[in-house]
Amino acid sequence: MSRKRPRLVPETFGSRRRRGPGGAGEEPPGGEAGSVRRALRELGELFPRLLFQDALPPIALKSQVYSLVPDRTAADRQLRELRELGEVRVIQLGFDADAQGIVFTEDFRTKALASCRGRPYEGTVKRFLASVLPACGDLSFHQDQMTQTFGFRDCEITQLVNAGVLTVRDAGSWWLSVPGAGRFVKYFVKGRQAVLGMVRKSKYRELLLSELLARRAPLSVRLGLPYHVHDLIGGQLLDIVPTTSGTLLRLPET
Amino acid sequence: MLGFLEARQVGLDDPGRLRRAEATRSMLSGGSDGIIALYDLENFSRKVHYTCKSICSVGRNHPDVHKYSVETVQWYPHDTGMFTSSSFDKTLKIWDTNTLQPADVFHFEGTVYSHHMSPVATKHCLIAVGTKGPKVQLCDLKSGSCSHILQGHRQEILAVSWSPRYEYILATASADSKVKLWDIRRASGCLITLDQHNGEKSKASSEAANTAHNGRVNGLCFTRDGLHLLTIGTDDRMRLWNSSNGENTLVNYGKVCNESRKGLKFTISHGCSPEFVFVPYGSAIAVYTVYSGELITMLRGHYNTVDCCVFQPNFQELYSGSRDCNILAWVPALREPLPDEDDEAETQKNPAFEDAWSSSDEEG
Repeated sequence: MSRKRPRLVPETFGSRRRRGPGGAGEEPPGGEAGSVRRALRELGELFPRLLFQDALPPIALKSQVYSLVPDRTAADRQLRELRELGEVRVIQLGFDADAQGIVFTEDFRTKALASCRGRPYEGTVKRFLASVLPACGDLSFHQDQMTQTFGFRDCEITQLVNAGVLTVRDAGSWWLSVPGAGRFVKYFVKGRQAVLGMVRKSKYRELLLSELLARRAPLSVRLGLPYHVHDLIGGQLLDIVPTTSGTLLRLPET
Repeated sequence: MLGFLEARQVGLDDPGRLRRAEATRSMLSGGSDGIIALYDLENFSRKVHYTCKSICSVGRNHPDVHKYSVETVQWYPHDTGMFTSSSFDKTLKIWDTNTLQPADVFHFEGTVYSHHMSPVATKHCLIAVGTKGPKVQLCDLKSGSCSHILQGHRQEILAVSWSPRYEYILATASADSKVKLWDIRRASGCLITLDQHNGEKSKASSEAANTAHNGRVNGLCFTRDGLHLLTIGTDDRMRLWNSSNGENTLVNYGKVCNESRKGLKFTISHGCSPEFVFVPYGSAIAVYTVYSGELITMLRGHYNTVDCCVFQPNFQELYSGSRDCNILAWVPALREPLPDEDDEAETQKNPAFEDAWSSSDEEG
């Protein structure tokens, strides 16, 4: 290896990762849809299923994908391809316009069916999952779409909202949603604030990544420190500074 | 002489609304104190760190100086005999460079945020002016009055830019989150309103339909070939658009911090491969590649918020103005060629110069 020219581009956490949270890794970021799929599976491993009694499919956030695949444009493009193939669904989580959750369609379908088993709206939900999900890859649905194209009556739409598969967005339009995702969003928001607080309270408002992961998580962090760290890095709420002692996380100045 | 054929670039701000004249290598800057200064950019001192002197300026004792902050300055696109400046004192002044007297003054009802004159126009001499009102005004230099109003925006116009490719295409950015492309020959309204979701209604809440950003749109910059348009907004995003059909190319630059309440002047390189966009980011300047969205580096050197930057393609230099009252020139660093590791192998002597004499004293 010849002596490298000094790089203008610092090695970010994402491209040098695999020493950070997430375990062993291999491929260079970017490339085909494979790298985002791999990233999603890895994030699925980090998701704490037992916390929700296995009722929720593993939800990964888009910002976490950016942390694992540092080339954002390529990550977006691959996500679009996966959406077009029908492998993943994007869910609007509601607390932030930017925060979108990504679930694998298969997991979503299994968990949604499991959550409505034995309830009166089971049939409607089954019909929804069978007819609307494959046909329409959008994040939200409109009144006309639901009634005319797919033939759902108003009472059936109310049943879907009660089941948790749809969430009200506007008068006459609904977001697609994961049943039982409310608890996840609550833990996520609290956990994100708690992890940011850990960095904020430290001297000089910066922490080594290894130090942060070694600390005991405060009680409000239920989803696990690595999960939140990926989200904060990918969402650019923390800056990555490569140092000789490892990666440093720093709060941005502004 | 390339300078005469080059398109002029957009001005900067505080202290500099900077503008370069390629032919005479001088730069215009307008400051928040209303002063306009001309600098000579050529560096004859051969030192690595040099200071450009101000050749002349329209200072506070000039009778026609702007009363409030100068927002935009621009050289007349065809030569440096004239320049235009617009300011928060609701005027746009046309100056004669040799005498430093205003040749004409246009008055408006609201503060002027931005103005631009087309760099490639031959058939018209219109200056597009964005003011606090929602109407874009086009002022004609030949007749000395506002000839044209473009209606369509709902709030103040923060940035205007003519296309460097077509002389009748104008882009305007407004605080109502919309960016519109106009053909000024058309009477019936804008050509395209840029939509960040490319028509997919499902992505965002219904209020965000047809908007270019989720906040005020602060800055506009066409690429040099005029085929793409970069916009920057207070939702901390920068977007790249295809200027012919208004499609969002969905290049993701990440978070581009933008806290400016008025327009933000950023600039694109010319003659580099790949092209870079230089965006003021707090007190540093962020450099991104335009078409792939990668953050290359942050240029640090200012002590306070950077307001504007402009690129000089002939010298390949970047000039930036900031609230610390400094204008800095960023010069590309020439790297020393690294010595190769297999140096010894390369220094093989030409056999013609080898001699057969042994180097030892003894006979050999």
